[in-house]
Amino acid sequence: MIEVRSLTKKYGERLAVDDVSFAVQRGEILGFLGQNGAGKTTTMKILTCFMPASSGTATVAGFDVFEKPLEVKKRIGYLPEIPPVYPELLVSEYLSFVAELKRIPRSERPRKIDRVLERCNLGSVRKRLIGNLSKGYRQRVGLAQALIHDPEVLILDEPTIGLDPKQVTEIRSLIKSMRSERTVIYSTHILSEVAATCDRIVIIDQGRIVAQEAISALSSAGGTTKTEIVVQRMSDQVLRALRDIKGVSNVQPFSNGAHRIVVESEAREDLMAEMSQVVVNQKAGLIRMSPVQLALEEYYLNLIGGRRDMQ
Amino acid sequence: MNGAVAIVKKELRSYFYSPVAYVIMGVFLFVMGVIFAKFVAIYEAYNRARAFGQAQGITLDKLALYMYQNMAFILCFVTPFLTMKLFAEERRQQTFELLLTAPLRGVELVLGKFISAYILMVLMVGLSFIYVVFMILWGNPEMGIIFSTYIGLLLALACYISLGALISAMTSSQAIAAVWTFIVLLLLWLLQSLGQGVTTKWGFIDWGPTLVYISPLGHFNSFAEGLIHIKDVIYFLTFTIFMLFLTHRVVESNRWR
Ligand SMILES: Nc1ncnc2c1ncn2[C@@H]1O[C@H](COP(=O)(O)OP(=O)(O)OP(=O)(O)O)[C@@H](O)[C@H]1O
Ligand SMILES: [Mg+2]
Repeated sequence: MIEVRSLTKKYGERLAVDDVSFAVQRGEILGFLGQNGAGKTTTMKILTCFMPASSGTATVAGFDVFEKPLEVKKRIGYLPEIPPVYPELLVSEYLSFVAELKRIPRSERPRKIDRVLERCNLGSVRKRLIGNLSKGYRQRVGLAQALIHDPEVLILDEPTIGLDPKQVTEIRSLIKSMRSERTVIYSTHILSEVAATCDRIVIIDQGRIVAQEAISALSSAGGTTKTEIVVQRMSDQVLRALRDIKGVSNVQPFSNGAHRIVVESEAREDLMAEMSQVVVNQKAGLIRMSPVQLALEEYYLNLIGGRRDMQ
Repeated sequence: MNGAVAIVKKELRSYFYSPVAYVIMGVFLFVMGVIFAKFVAIYEAYNRARAFGQAQGITLDKLALYMYQNMAFILCFVTPFLTMKLFAEERRQQTFELLLTAPLRGVELVLGKFISAYILMVLMVGLSFIYVVFMILWGNPEMGIIFSTYIGLLLALACYISLGALISAMTSSQAIAAVWTFIVLLLLWLLQSLGQGVTTKWGFIDWGPTLVYISPLGHFNSFAEGLIHIKDVIYFLTFTIFMLFLTHRVVESNRWR
């Protein structure tokens, strides 16, 4: 659906994007991960025909962004870093302007506006001035603008920035709900966000792609994953039983108030199931079991040469 | 051209939601009122003088010419305030990204912006028609001249606005856009008197008449004198189209840089 081939962008002498190539399949959600200044926004601006590349090509839905910008624009919904809203308009006025701009036939406009208002939880502010909305609401209006014409491709530049945790989860599930019907690229510097929503990630650092992999492959990139198990009663039998599972490499008990066991194992889903089975069988009183996304985090920081201390 | 319509609607909304449009219209009508009052005073003095058999060749139409010249000049001050935001504000508040990534042609964007400012200014100049009504109630001005003058005003407005749009497209600061638009418009007016003083011939070009030709003043004056010459119409139209063409280039240059 989206194909980027050796894209390079120079701002004067400054190389912002350096020979970037990647492809996104139809229906895939791609996380675009990178530190500040990595070149995420620049790449997105090129993909949305906002500005040209210095060299290289990009196609969206088979149309070259440089040769056929109008065709590309028709198929894209784009949420820029700063939501492109007019403070002097009401939310409803803004959305009907955008609907007209995006060539939605007049008869369908009211329906599409209502639907997008509902999807982005904006019903309560439809008659409010955008200038008076909070940052999070403005962000949601920006998102509504990108979604209103049901584009095949969504390009979202840090869509969850400035939102409260509840909204973040809602937006994430909104994005997830579009899996397989729309193609989504979205940028972020929050790793857990990518892990939670994306099928695949592209990690970019200083304008270069340093990794692009499927999430499932990535979480086992370090070979192992860690799982935290909280139990009511700690016993040697449980620990031993856990150690006996094939694929488990290390079992570490912690007892400070709650009883926690951190299990290091190969990254496979069936192992999780097996572990829970073992804990239940041993009548240890399973309270909670959750994966620790440490491998991914470590992998990411290694890639971008970060030297942050991870515990 | 549906995109242009969407832009026009949105722009007019923005204009009328902000106090700027009302303030500018108010100031314009006030200044015109002051000029009209002076015009009335001169006319009365003339009528009195005529009663004593001392008419000095002042006619209602001469006075009207004087008033409309002032109006065309005042519009030079007014235009920058209404055109400054056209593109600069879109750049500043990052909504340019919305417009340039929507399925909207550059031509539609430029025309939409131009037409919206034009509609607003035509409305404003239309309001000055009340003074014409006064004139009609009082004396009998030559309607032909008033007609041609308003044609001239409409054409001059188009050329002012296209220039304002071009300058607004080149910056992200409304203040800078306004100041430069004003400076350039003023220079264009001054070219008339400047050109009349220049007699030198550099190269092939006869600079004096060329400068006079470039200035809109002379072209407007013939309209205000009741003459509709095709060459003046062509001057204003070419000027406007050329400015809009350049504006389009500037807007599109985003995609080429
Ligand atoms: N208009 C510009 N002129 C000059 N340099 C620019 C311009 N825009 C971006 N850059 C530079 O290009 C590089 C990439 O910027 P970009 O905005 O794409 O990063 P990003 O990955 O989106 O970062 P962030 O996470 O902070 O949004 C940066 O070094 C930035 O300084
Ligand atoms: Mg960015």
